[in-house]
Amino acid sequence: MATPLLSVTDLQVGFATERGLLRAVDGVSFDLAEGQTLGIVGESGSGKSVTAKTLMNLLPSYARVEGSVMFDGRDVRAMAAERERHFWGVEMTMVFQDPMTSLNPVKKVGEQIAESLRVHLKRSRREARDDAGDLLQQVGVPESKKRLTQYPHELSGGLRQRVVIAMALACSPRLLIADEPTTALDVTVQKHILDLLDELREERGMAMILITHDLGVVKGRADQIMVMYAGRTMEQADTATLFSEMRHPYTEALLETIPRVDMASHSRLVPIPGSPPDAVDLGQGCPFAERCRYCSASCLIDQPSLEQHRQGHACACHAPVGTDAGAAAHAANHETGVTPAGLDMGTFATAVGEKT
Amino acid sequence: MIVLARRLAQLVAVVLAVTFLAFTAMNTLGDPLFNVVGFVAAVDCDAVEAGEIEDISGQGGTTLGDCAVVAEAREEFHLNEPLPIRYGRWVGDLIRGDFGTSFKNRMPVSTVLADRLPKSLLLMGMAEVFAVALSVPWAIAAAYRANRAMDRASTIGAFGMLALPNFALGVILFYFFVVKWQIFPSRFEDDNLALRLKSLVLPALTLGMPLAATYFRLLRTDLITTLQEDFVVMAKAKGLSNRWIMFRHALRPSLFSMVTVFGLNTAALIGGALIVEQVFSIPGLGRALVEASIRDDYPVVLGATVVIATGFVIINFAVDLAYSYLDPRVRRES
Repeated sequence: MATPLLSVTDLQVGFATERGLLRAVDGVSFDLAEGQTLGIVGESGSGKSVTAKTLMNLLPSYARVEGSVMFDGRDVRAMAAERERHFWGVEMTMVFQDPMTSLNPVKKVGEQIAESLRVHLKRSRREARDDAGDLLQQVGVPESKKRLTQYPHELSGGLRQRVVIAMALACSPRLLIADEPTTALDVTVQKHILDLLDELREERGMAMILITHDLGVVKGRADQIMVMYAGRTMEQADTATLFSEMRHPYTEALLETIPRVDMASHSRLVPIPGSPPDAVDLGQGCPFAERCRYCSASCLIDQPSLEQHRQGHACACHAPVGTDAGAAAHAANHETGVTPAGLDMGTFATAVGEKT
Repeated sequence: MIVLARRLAQLVAVVLAVTFLAFTAMNTLGDPLFNVVGFVAAVDCDAVEAGEIEDISGQGGTTLGDCAVVAEAREEFHLNEPLPIRYGRWVGDLIRGDFGTSFKNRMPVSTVLADRLPKSLLLMGMAEVFAVALSVPWAIAAAYRANRAMDRASTIGAFGMLALPNFALGVILFYFFVVKWQIFPSRFEDDNLALRLKSLVLPALTLGMPLAATYFRLLRTDLITTLQEDFVVMAKAKGLSNRWIMFRHALRPSLFSMVTVFGLNTAALIGGALIVEQVFSIPGLGRALVEASIRDDYPVVLGATVVIATGFVIINFAVDLAYSYLDPRVRRES
């Protein structure tokens, strides 16, 4: 990989709570090259949105952040929002989950797109409005001139998300962070928006971080994928490798939660049993151990570190899927019917990918 | 156009309703005649004429002649007619622009109103200007620092201003600025606009400070809520400055509660500033209304009622217009 556009090293984000330090992000590292897409995948509370907000400097002031974030050789964490007027929103922007709430309900759509151009690029009111019209056209909004004078409540969800994307793209950013950009939309619209983001990225040579809980979303779109759980990186690889040789039981479990075309019809999807752990009190073992069918005794006391077993593929697991250790752990659990963490193996009886 | 017509109908209905109530109350619960001719009004003249009551003329009591005065006054003010007819007559006069005549000094009510209303309106306007000028920057400053020391201190300050009664605040201000330092005149001076404004500064402050505290509380709370909205986070992600976000994104959608209460307060101030008018000796509408009520001078009371009711309706209309300016989602419905 050439010199990365964005380089995150050992990022840690904590929030002091009454019960102790909540580790929202714990030791996340990744590089992202110009024009590439990184998919960050995980359940709610896995730290993916906090990671994005850290990059965007949107965390509340009481958040404790450690580690380094370098953007094109500049130290992002050392920048102060009030001084660096033209970094966020210009070089790096973000699209949020819910287009219903991320647009100001009392401002015209055109004004909301144009204001970035006026503030950052010092465009005049008229120029900014014309550019806003062009942007709307680029993101596939029909009758873009007319839309400029409309208010958000006059647009459908899909159109609103296109407006949000136009807003984010106004100053031609080099990196776009899309945080679950389609979660709040109708399924029929989701694909259009994702394809649009992909097209725009391609056209503009922009890098993108695509955050989602759905592995299916990043499958054909991301160059690299990082799977996060409880603030930690569980598995990290380029997309092809991840799908062909996935090693982490969590990645496997995530994949089983989404329907695939090659499944027999009416086959059941397998939810991941349990819920994500309490980020204040993670204990000493692997955070996923309690929900894992490959769990072994060592997983409960020893947190596996993220290790590269070969160039470009890292995984944090004692008994990875597809290895002898994994097969042995799984077989042992199957034998006893219960994992060392106390999870009933019967929960997985109908698992689609179940290997016995 | 339809909106305007509907508002006009509303105005007529409100004015009729409140004046009818005021008219009936003042004529049945008190005796207007008492204040026109004095104590004689209470004497049963029929009984005097019939010789059932002793004529105590010359002893500070009444005489037959006085009974003639009473009869004359009844005739003059149509007090011998039944209530509904008198009310109808009053409404008829009102439509022709005649507010009637005050019982006190037989001055036309319209003259009384023309004298008192501008002063009250000026006082109301100044009080609201002070209140808004104080509360809006205050709320913005506090909302930035929600729940920190400055915000907490100003919340306590606001409650203090709300808890202090009008007359107490008025008297305190009066003592320092008029008696002790003699910065402002002790009574209302009407010679020119500058003097009028100067003599209204303290009363307007007295009225405006509790209003400012109310507006501050409402706006601060709404601003804090708005600043947590997703679109504010989005605006930050667009790299907009805090100032830009506050004034161009957060302020407008946060003004609703404040505008509502502003409307109600403003209308109430038209005739409701009587304590302050009393403390600072301002011949305003509030005082005129109180004096007239005590004297059962119902033409003045009704005249003032018409003005105040009209004010309420107009200001509420203005508030509705403000809503649709503030939020485009309201516009479609009207």
